[in-house]
Amino acid sequence: MTTRGKALIGFAVVAVVLNLVPTLVEAFDAPGFYVTFMFTAFFWIAQAVSWNILTGYSGYFSFGQGAWFGIGVYTTGILAVKHGWPFLLALPVAGVLAGLSGLVLGMVVFRLRKLGGEIFALTTLAIAFVLASVARLYSFIDGGRGIFMTGTPLPEFLGDFRTAMFRMTFVVAFLTVLTAYLLYESRIGWGLFAIRDDEPVAHGLGVPVFRYKMLALGINALFGGLMGGVWSLQIGFVTVDDVFNIRVPLFVILMSVLGGMKHWMGPVVGAVIIYSLTDRLNSAGLEDLNQVIIGGLLIVLVLAVREGIYLRLRERWKLSLAVFAAAMAIWTIFDLATSLIWDFSYASLITVGVALLPSRRRPGESEPPSAGVPQTAAASDRSPP
Amino acid sequence: MNALTGTGIVKHFGGIKALDGVDVAIEEGKILGLVGPNGSGKSTLINVLSGFYPADQGKVDFGGADLLRLGPHEIAGAGLARTFQIPRPFRTMTARENVALSYMFGQRRHSLAAARRAAGQWLEFTDLEEVGDLPIDQLTLHQLKFLELARALATEPTLLLLDEVLAGLNPTEVEESIRMIQRIHDQGVTLVIVEHLVRVVTALSSTLLVLDQGRVIARGHPEVVMKQPEVIRAYLGSKWEHA
Repeated sequence: MTTRGKALIGFAVVAVVLNLVPTLVEAFDAPGFYVTFMFTAFFWIAQAVSWNILTGYSGYFSFGQGAWFGIGVYTTGILAVKHGWPFLLALPVAGVLAGLSGLVLGMVVFRLRKLGGEIFALTTLAIAFVLASVARLYSFIDGGRGIFMTGTPLPEFLGDFRTAMFRMTFVVAFLTVLTAYLLYESRIGWGLFAIRDDEPVAHGLGVPVFRYKMLALGINALFGGLMGGVWSLQIGFVTVDDVFNIRVPLFVILMSVLGGMKHWMGPVVGAVIIYSLTDRLNSAGLEDLNQVIIGGLLIVLVLAVREGIYLRLRERWKLSLAVFAAAMAIWTIFDLATSLIWDFSYASLITVGVALLPSRRRPGESEPPSAGVPQTAAASDRSPP
Repeated sequence: MNALTGTGIVKHFGGIKALDGVDVAIEEGKILGLVGPNGSGKSTLINVLSGFYPADQGKVDFGGADLLRLGPHEIAGAGLARTFQIPRPFRTMTARENVALSYMFGQRRHSLAAARRAAGQWLEFTDLEEVGDLPIDQLTLHQLKFLELARALATEPTLLLLDEVLAGLNPTEVEESIRMIQRIHDQGVTLVIVEHLVRVVTALSSTLLVLDQGRVIARGHPEVVMKQPEVIRAYLGSKWEHA
């Protein structure tokens, strides 16, 4: 069986298992916030993974996640509340509209010759500011009054609010991660990696760079917007300041950098760890210290593990799984914490420690250059006269 | 029969004319040597033909298409490939993955699975099998230069532009590289070589094109061309300038 076949079976298994969670929580009379915890994690996974399809794969650094997210939030808000559309009909429109906005941005910035990465990053940052002002100005969007999402009717087959949120965020997160994986294992993904490494060379070897960058940006915006559309319900009262702020773009960057941007799975791991950590710190009443702790952890980990923790954990995957399982077991059996979420958060944090072990591959340790070959010898006639 | 015919190619950099109306004809199946002092426009010509720099004027016929109207990826699709004087491998990929990538895109599209299977043949051809799966930063300059060749060949070109393959190599490596260029040529690929070592170009090429300050100052049989007074003057003149 091919690697891809195995992976797709893995995806199916994960989908089935995760979808049992709401039922199990109900059956065992476990606290409902388990479900909330998980669907919030799905939210961050979709945001981080979709961001990484653009930035991690193609190398174009984006601050635009907040814009795609915001377009999604406002689209479902306006259509479902102000125009009374069925929510599930408004949702795909949110994704498509965000995706199209991404493509419009791409048409402009990727057409510029010699576009520096900085210009791209700044443009994406500006988009969110522009959108925020537009939303504030026009009353058909927001006009400064906000949109009440609470009580938006949802189809019955989705279950109660928590279960419905779980199902919807799951579907979006699942599709996002699946897309990231399929791209990673395909010609298109490789084309994007080549663009990230050296765009002019990739172009010269036959990679249609414009089309691929557009595709990556479009997919990023599509899934960011789709998840934003779902998330409008969880926000409850949608306001410009809550939506178009730096939180989403900042967190997806932190999550992806921590987890590792070079592998499709990196942002998933980063999102789970950072989200569970912030959530636990908040619940322990440490909101004020939250950013200090997360920031400190990030500095340590990024300096110690440049390629992101996922690839390091994978190098020692048996040890990582064993450490995680052992920590989970110890915390659960000895009842060291008040809920499974605490157990899980402690166990993940301890597992992250495995990533700090020295790497087995030593990329820095290259062979000395062969005798008599100065590496700089080929410097002449490179630049135009 | 010409593989490529360029007429009146002009390329400015600001006020400087790097190429000032260059005509170039590359005969199919032959090796064209491109020589000239530093800054004469050799590399610029390579960059314009491969689409890295847009030309300001001119026309380049390559298999019926005007290359100057195509993007770099379309030029690769038409069957033209190039190497870089200073190797530019994709640094997050191994040598094998570098080659697989250019096979996937290149002249015809291939799937990732097919590219993974096929990459070995070019690694073998360029003696890189052993280092194919190492991180790229463990390859020597000589190996990186061969990787440039492997990657260009994996696009399945009919015309290959080699930009200073020999620069920076020691004498043994130079000999190996010359044999490699001949082996590539024996496979039926038309070649353009840019080289500082005049002795080597003269030996390899069937025709020489001599550039000076963006103009063609001589073309023809290597031994005849290298004896022309303009050519000698261009070379000696450039020496005095740089002394």
